Amino acid sequence: MDPSEVEFLAEKEIVKIIPNFSLDKIYLIGGDLGPFNPGLPVDVPVWLALNLKQRQKCRIVPPEWMDVEKLEEIREQERREDAFTPIPNPHYMELTKLLLNHASDNIPKADEIRTLVKDIWDTRIAKLRLSADSFISQQEAHAKLDNLTLMEINTTRTFLLDSLNYMYKLRSNMQPGTGPGKTQDY
Amino acid sequence: MSDVLSDAGDLSGEEESQEDVLTPAELIARLEEAWLNEKFSPELLENKSEMVECVMEQLTHMEQNLQRVKKGDLKAGIHRVEIDRIRFVLSSYLRSRIQKIEKFFPHVLEKEKSRGDGDPSFLSPEEFAFAKEYLANTETYLKAVALRHMPPNLQTVDMLKAVPEPCLDSFVFLRVKERQENILVEPETDEQSEYVVDLDEGSQHLMRYRTIAPLVASGAVQLI
Amino acid sequence: MDTQSYMPVPPGVGTEENFFSLDDILLSQERLPCRTEMAFPRLGFLEKSNDSQDIPEGTKMEMPLWLAKGLYERKRRVLAVELPKMYREGWRTVFSADPTVVDLHKMGPYYYGLGSQLLHFDSPENTEIAQTVLQTFIGRFRRTMDSSQNAYNEDTSALVERLDCLERALFRAGQSGLNGFQSWEKGRTSHLTASNLVINYRKRKIAEVQS
Repeated sequence: MDPSEVEFLAEKEIVKIIPNFSLDKIYLIGGDLGPFNPGLPVDVPVWLALNLKQRQKCRIVPPEWMDVEKLEEIREQERREDAFTPIPNPHYMELTKLLLNHASDNIPKADEIRTLVKDIWDTRIAKLRLSADSFISQQEAHAKLDNLTLMEINTTRTFLLDSLNYMYKLRSNMQPGTGPGKTQDY
Repeated sequence: MSDVLSDAGDLSGEEESQEDVLTPAELIARLEEAWLNEKFSPELLENKSEMVECVMEQLTHMEQNLQRVKKGDLKAGIHRVEIDRIRFVLSSYLRSRIQKIEKFFPHVLEKEKSRGDGDPSFLSPEEFAFAKEYLANTETYLKAVALRHMPPNLQTVDMLKAVPEPCLDSFVFLRVKERQENILVEPETDEQSEYVVDLDEGSQHLMRYRTIAPLVASGAVQLI
Repeated sequence: MDTQSYMPVPPGVGTEENFFSLDDILLSQERLPCRTEMAFPRLGFLEKSNDSQDIPEGTKMEMPLWLAKGLYERKRRVLAVELPKMYREGWRTVFSADPTVVDLHKMGPYYYGLGSQLLHFDSPENTEIAQTVLQTFIGRFRRTMDSSQNAYNEDTSALVERLDCLERALFRAGQSGLNGFQSWEKGRTSHLTASNLVINYRKRKIAEVQS
């Protein structure tokens, strides 16, 4: 999957905006939004929030977790524990990028947040590689991967799945006559 | 103008099999699930042409309404963005099916041939036509560039043998939507023994597609 | 998923070969040391060291994998295939000591593929070969992963130099995952680009106009 497609999915997440215009309820195919009143916070999907923000029609309220103190706590926990810790949003990486790139003026301490999220990401990716390595060397058949996000999975998906596939085929070499290895003559 | 756009009412599945009535929002959610499942499953999944038609209907309907609205209208602009997003998912979904048909065409056609009378087809009528044509074109091409220059006994290629089958033993990532108990995990090596796992709702796993393929079809798990 | 309209067929890996895979076609040209166990009449032209019209029984010669596979029969003694040196016991010991030190490109470059294909020839050492090939892959995995996931924006030729073809394919998969993410992060994917097919089509049209 392309990272931009993962981002596309992240754009469905809901954020709060404070509009500077009024508009009745909108009946979208995917559900109702609004009504919009100047100064009154309202929940919208990220794609709409960014669209309105670019037209200077709203201010985006950063999600609760997008906060230096909270992220520092998460970073410490992530470094302390071996397992993947629960993350406040399954699209934390994409949302950080989207909101910081398009609405940094609405987000206090944007640079610090960027660094913290990157630290958390790096720690988690290092863990992901460790688990991939042990999954392969132990020749496991099943792994529980709670708390892993789609973007994290996606950076290593092809590599890990291809490796497992190759390994499976090399292993089925050891059971002649079974497995996928049919002899074919042309 | 709010009237023309405020008609996202319930849409009932007019066709036989659809007993449950989906709201448009649920329909879009189904489309997105089907999209990801199709992207990540090693084999071609059952076609969902009914769903595709319903989505198309929604899109056309909304587009017709929008034609009556003047340009630059804020509300219409938002509707247009949503339409584009849905259209993107729909095209990407159909495209990943086409890619799999191109990759596995002889096997896809073979499965279609051996299908029982009452069983649902894995291909939509359009996809079936595409697969047949793809096979014919590949064969014609191979014949023209290579096979006709070969000795007479070597002028055929068995496509079923020449084109690799989908590997159902591939690993996939999945998220559980409905709790499942006692899923058998087969051992990878002789030293290991088989064991069972419970798949809790909301949990995520990495395991072989073959083990959970029926759960993908039933919608109990979502590939990610 | 790849957005390209053309997807090359991957190698079969294991005992299977994919008819349309370029890697498998190249693999089938790999040479194997063989000994004939019956005379091959009028095939002398295949054996350059001898002028005779036939290949006599007991001749040692090299044959490409595809030919050896075609001639080999389990029930009849036509041809005996010997193990290339990297699959013999001596090298197997080296591999099991530390698989990461070996230059698999030089030894291969189809170490895993050829090793798997050798299993067609009923050698008494088949079990050990299969075991070594698998353990070598597992033993080198960490290294392949680390080098492919850490190298960003640098010359990777030194990193892939000692990798077998299969490992190189993995390396590329790892790199494309990494590069995809990195360029997304830098905002480089926000621009849509035309598919290669369209670009080439335009080129062709211009060429037609000019000619």
